[in-house]
Parts: sequence; structure tokens; C-alpha cells
Amino acid sequence: MQSSSRRMGVMTDVHRRFLQLLMTHGVMEEREVAHLQKHCYKVHDSSATADKLEDFINNINSVLESLYIEIKKGITEDDGRPIYALVNLATTPVSKMASDYAENELDLFRKALELIIDSESGFASSTNILNLVDQLKGKRMRKKEAEQVLQKFVQNKWLIEKEGEFTLHGRAILEMEQYIRGMYPDSVKTCNICHGLLIQGQSCETCGIRMHLPCVAKYFQANPEPHCPHCNDYWPHEIPEVFDPEKEGEPTISRPHRKSLRSRQH
Amino acid sequence: MLQKHKSRIRPSSQGERDREWSRGEEAPSTSRGAGGSQEPRGSASQGSRRSEAAPAVGPRTQKQLELKVAELVQFLLIKDQRKIPIKRADIVKHVLGDYKDMFADLLRRAAERLQYVFGYKLVELEPKSHSFILINTLEPVEEDAEVRGDQGTPTTGLLMIVLGLIFMKGNTIKETEVWDFLRRLGVYPTKKHLIFGDPKKLITEEFVRQRYLEYRRIPHTDPVDYELQWGPRTNLETSKMKVLKFVAKVHNQDPKDWPAQYCEALAEEEARARPQPQPSAPAPSSSSSSAAATSS
Ligand SMILES: [Zn+2]
Ligand SMILES: [Zn+2]
Repeated sequence: MQSSSRRMGVMTDVHRRFLQLLMTHGVMEEREVAHLQKHCYKVHDSSATADKLEDFINNINSVLESLYIEIKKGITEDDGRPIYALVNLATTPVSKMASDYAENELDLFRKALELIIDSESGFASSTNILNLVDQLKGKRMRKKEAEQVLQKFVQNKWLIEKEGEFTLHGRAILEMEQYIRGMYPDSVKTCNICHGLLIQGQSCETCGIRMHLPCVAKYFQANPEPHCPHCNDYWPHEIPEVFDPEKEGEPTISRPHRKSLRSRQH
Repeated sequence: MLQKHKSRIRPSSQGERDREWSRGEEAPSTSRGAGGSQEPRGSASQGSRRSEAAPAVGPRTQKQLELKVAELVQFLLIKDQRKIPIKRADIVKHVLGDYKDMFADLLRRAAERLQYVFGYKLVELEPKSHSFILINTLEPVEEDAEVRGDQGTPTTGLLMIVLGLIFMKGNTIKETEVWDFLRRLGVYPTKKHLIFGDPKKLITEEFVRQRYLEYRRIPHTDPVDYELQWGPRTNLETSKMKVLKFVAKVHNQDPKDWPAQYCEALAEEEARARPQPQPSAPAPSSSSSSAAATSS
């Protein structure tokens, strides 16, 4: 990969400040990233015409390549909003988390991760996670502490909590996809449309293939009679809306709606 | 892009997973498991390093070195987020492993990448301290905090106040004086603060661990009192002039309104401007000679 044919970009302070601030965030939504880019140009080079965000990031990535780091773009699994994260490819994501968490906290994350991956819905209930606190490595953790640690994972955008259940945040999926595929090759699920790692989504009741909600939305967009792309059986789930950046702020899938999607998958 | 990396992480057994996750040793505050911490740094390259089994010294391929530098850069970036100085021994133990004979060369390469790509300068905290920190070469601007949202560091303001206080009082201040001053701002040593949490712990432990402050017991005092001074990180990251300007801004005055401090700050600026052998840069010669000292 170091013998890339792509021309290596040039870093300026605009790019460096951008990287620094992206790093302190961990993960950012696309519109925040665009705002950040504008900010960095304003600070260092207000006269320059800003590169298109995509080109700007490609330029940085060409330099990051030799460091096995990449600004990766992904979308949230529930409503398909574009997000960006700085992803390490040389060290495991665990070592990145390890600077922020103690051994027993890391082990709690792993337990939660395993429950989430093994679950049918992509969610693990807090009760099920907390039931495992006695098995954690390292210092003993009480349930009350474990609840706080889970909230810390939510705060730092490794997990998302919805109605007392936890799933992986888009950041965690971006940073951990390869790792999860390597560690849990038998239990990971893959999206039939984009072939990316799938944690939560819809599945065909006949042949069992799975699709991300945003992939479902795009695939069946304006299709009144959705059929499974694999077995052609009728697709019995509600079709979510395609993410529209104009309607920012409003999650395209409301909570009760999402729940009904999930409950029908069983 | 991603595909190319995939092969480096192999499917693994439960046992390997366990080992992977038990490496809590990264976190300085973590109690270390006796077993796992002696292992070479866990990284995706670990497997390949083992299987290629190039023990001791031998020519390493360009690619192996590149990967080592990448791991080193990431390690330094991760460690720096906590602002705790990075010890040479930890670099050797967690990243370099059997590449430790190349410490100076790899560190120099990592420093070059950190500077060019991220705008961070790698410096040794004090000469021969074998502790390194990253210094941001980009001046912070106020809007950074806005862009960062609530992820910023509000504690920096408190640190600047304490640094200013120390400088204005002749570079050493009693802890009791610090609290007398902070109380007027509504910050109490024993009362949990909305933003700073435990202010006493923040100032006398956290800032001290990060090496912004030195905290020492004053001998022969009854009741016991402590004094505070600037730590080595402060001298590297900022200057007397910058701190004086901060103080002046807070008071809505001019730095020259404090002639003694102004002269002192000016003298420091001049001293720094004079060319001198860079003691802070991880110079290859001094680092490699110190290799033997710390690696035992
Ligand atoms: Zn998909
Ligand atoms: Zn089907």
C-alpha cells in the first residue's frame, strides 16, 4: 500500500488543524465536518478557495496512507446520516480505547459487543449486559458502576442507547469493522446490498438475507411492491425514508416506528 | 483500500480474543495484570512479526519499518490525549519490542511524521528525562473550542489562571494562596465544581501528572503547606510572555503595567531566540546512548 500510484498530497496548516480537531471528536457528522473545514480555511488561509470536501479529505488520506490511518466515511445504521471518523489500521481499535478505559471497563465493552453481535436484532438489553458484570476481568465492578461505564461508552460514541437497549455507534462500526470480522467471523452479519458489516437492519423472513435500513430505503425507494433481492419473496417490513440532509435534525425513523421494525424481525 | 488490510487481522480463537482485550496496560491508571503486560505490544502486525521471526538484529524491510513508525505515531497520539508524558521504556515495551535497537531512528521518523502530518512536535520533556510530549505547533484559536463543541478542555482556563498566579508571585506560590485566590472566583478546594469536578485533585494531581505544575511540600511548615511552580511541560508549551499577556487580558491591562514581570518575560524571549543546541529534540546520538540505560 505504500507503493500507491496515487500522488501523495501536500499538508498545510489548514489540513493539520482539521486533523487535530477531527481527532479530538472521534466521529463527526458530515455537516459538522464541512463546518470544520471552513473553519480551518478561515484560520489559516482565508483567501484560498476551499477544496471540495471530498477532495480535501482524499488529499489528507493520501498522506495518512503510509501511517495506516484513514479518514473513513460511513453512514449511521439507523437513519443513514453520513459520518466521518479517523480510523487506525495499524493497531487494533482496542488499543485506542485502552487509553481511556480500565481493564474491567474494556471487558464490559467486549461483553456488550459480543451480546450485540450475537443478537438477532443488533441490540443487547442493559439487563443482559449487567448480568455479566461478575465475570469481568480486572477490578470488581458493581452493577451501578457498570451502568455508568455504559453511559460513558454512549458519551464517547462507542455505543448507542435506545429504550434501555444498546447497539454499536456508527463510530464503533467504522473503527472496528475489520476487527469484528476478524474476531467473530462466525457470528457477524453482512448486508446483502452494500456487503458491509451489519449490526441492525431488516431481514427476509423467507431466505434470511439482511439489509441495512438505509440500504433498504435506497433499494426500495419509490417501490410500492418491494421484493427480496435474493429470493424475490414479498418484503414484509416497513420501508424507511432515504436520508435527506435538508431535513437535518429530524431522525428519519421515529422511535416507535423503529421498534415496530425490529419486533417484526423475530 | 480496506481490503488490503483485511488479511492482517486473522480470525482468532476465544483465547486470542481474551488476550487482545486484557491489554488494559495502556491506561496509566489501570492496575496491570501480571501476565499480559509483558507481551509485546498487541497490534495487527503482531502475528506477522512473530511468524517472520527475525529475532535480535537484522535488516528489516522498508515496509516493516514503515509499519513500526505508523504504530509508534499512533501510540504517541493516543498517549498524548491524556497529556501524560510518554516514557521511553513504555515505547520500547508496548511498541518497539525487538526493534528497540532502532529506537532513535524510528522515533526520529515518527517525530517527522507527527510534525508534517499533524502539526505536533515531539520533544523530550527535560534533557535526559526519557519522557516525551507532543507540543502543538498550531496556535489555538478561540473558534476551535466552538467547533469542538463541548469536547473542549475548560480546564485549560483554570490552568492558565494558576500559571499566571505563579508567575506574578515570583514563580513560586503557596498552595494556600492559590485557594485564597480561587475562592474569590467561586472555586473551592473541597467543593465539587460543575466544570472542574474536584478542583483540588485537578490542580495538585492531574496538572502535576501532566507536568504542567510542580507540587512540593514546603519543609518545616506547621500546619503543612505546599508550594506550586511551573512544570517542564509549561515551559515547553507556553512562555512567560504568553502567560503575562493572558493575565493582562483578564485584568484588561497592558503587560507593561507589570514592569518586573514584563522584563523577566522579555529576557526569556530573548534567551529562547538565541540559537542553542536543541536539548529537547530527540537527537539520535543522545537517545541511542541512553538506550542501554533504560532498556534494562
Ligand atoms: Zn448495507
Ligand atoms: Zn429473501
